[in-house]
Amino acid sequence: MMPRWKGKGLQAKANADPMSKIVSQLQSSLIQFETRGLLSSCSVLVEVDAELADLLNRSCFGRPRITAQEDKQWFQLDMEEAFYLCFSLKCLKVIGEDGSIKSNEELWDYFKSKKLVFPVSYKVYSHLRHKNWVVRSGLQYGVDFVAYRHHPALVHSEYAVLALSEGDNDLNGRLRVWSDVHCTVRLCGSVAKTLLTVIVNSNNQGANSPSCLEHYTVEERTITRWNPERSREDQTSPKNGTKKGVTRF
Amino acid sequence: MKPRWKGKGSQAKANADPMSKIVSQLQSSLIQSETRGLLSSCSVLVEVDAELADLLNRSCFGRPRITAQEDKQWFQLDMEEAFYLCFSLKCLKVIGENGYIKSNEELWDYLKSKKPVFPVSYKVYSHLRHKNWVVRSGLQYGVDFVAYCHHPALVHSEYAVLVLSEGDNDLNGRLRVWSDVHCTVRLCGSVAKTLLTVIVNSNNQGANSPSCLEHYTVEEQTITRWNPERSREDQTGPKNGTKKV
Repeated sequence: MMPRWKGKGLQAKANADPMSKIVSQLQSSLIQFETRGLLSSCSVLVEVDAELADLLNRSCFGRPRITAQEDKQWFQLDMEEAFYLCFSLKCLKVIGEDGSIKSNEELWDYFKSKKLVFPVSYKVYSHLRHKNWVVRSGLQYGVDFVAYRHHPALVHSEYAVLALSEGDNDLNGRLRVWSDVHCTVRLCGSVAKTLLTVIVNSNNQGANSPSCLEHYTVEERTITRWNPERSREDQTSPKNGTKKGVTRF
Repeated sequence: MKPRWKGKGSQAKANADPMSKIVSQLQSSLIQSETRGLLSSCSVLVEVDAELADLLNRSCFGRPRITAQEDKQWFQLDMEEAFYLCFSLKCLKVIGENGYIKSNEELWDYLKSKKPVFPVSYKVYSHLRHKNWVVRSGLQYGVDFVAYCHHPALVHSEYAVLVLSEGDNDLNGRLRVWSDVHCTVRLCGSVAKTLLTVIVNSNNQGANSPSCLEHYTVEEQTITRWNPERSREDQTGPKNGTKKV
């Protein structure tokens, strides 16, 4: 599915300014300023200057929080975003309620205690981010994440992502029954997104520490409606790795 | 939520011809003609003449199947529809593959073997049908049933129904996580329906036979979006039994 750019010249703009480069600039900047995040329930709050605020906005990490301060801005990072900056990009440190910096293992344990499926959810988030997709919360679309090819201002998101697990971790809450498949596919269609399930297999590695993550395997599958009229005779066969959902109405 | 009638005169037409009366006529007609249904996988097929076909259409049971026959029509009934006609309205008998009429207990066991949640699903179907709602499959709307207060030709369906269970039967596949709640509420909103969850409690009665059904209790809850702008200050409080998201 080709990305749908939101206007003329935006594709060129995106090509001139790749997301990988923006994220890299964010990483350098956070390291340079020795930025510290504050743990706040299920989020991490960071205080940033104008330059970092701009980089966070352009790389799509976190959401600005409105405060009375004029020279400093506060951003609120989701769990996966915060852990990505800490663990994968190694450019952020997080301070706990006790005032001391949390190690990656401590942060991992903390997030797992807040969200049981965090290991699977994080694997999916980091898997897509590593490929330079912009990954945001998909809750308003009834999914886990939405994935954009570049900044949401430039392009419409293509994929509505559900994080599913396979193996010793059957915590899946979605797509257990056909009505949910229909519901999700229909809603995705109405907002012009393709449903992408990213299935994580922990390969019996458990989830005791973030070092387990590298042994998890990931399988991507899109689920789309199969239209008999459009699939007759001399059409090409389905793409490799794409599982098509069949409608029966 | 008030029913949305499809055009002028539909409401009057519906009031003049209540669903309860149409269903009653269907019941009498089926009994009189000693109609027999044929079990076919997850459906029951019935062969009917023009009069019964008309009653089935007007009462919204089953879907016509296209055949080459001219004088007879075939209808395909869903599991819940068939069992309602057999067990609740006692106006249909179903013949199994071996050619014998299935008792209600045999039919119950068979349908349960095809669909483990059938007892709960049937309880919800019959609960709504008894109240004279028209209940149809909701699969294309991503739910279990859609409920109309009269014939779909006259009125838009108001409720998208999800069947949930509580108690010793935790077979729920939906609304286990927030993303599913958002997904379902949003989709229902886009097709102008209110999400209605009907929660069945088996009260530890099990599901060995259809006689267990009368001891099941049912709770209805609508789930709608809560809009802060529309819920300020001097608005009336939420309706009883309505859970707002």
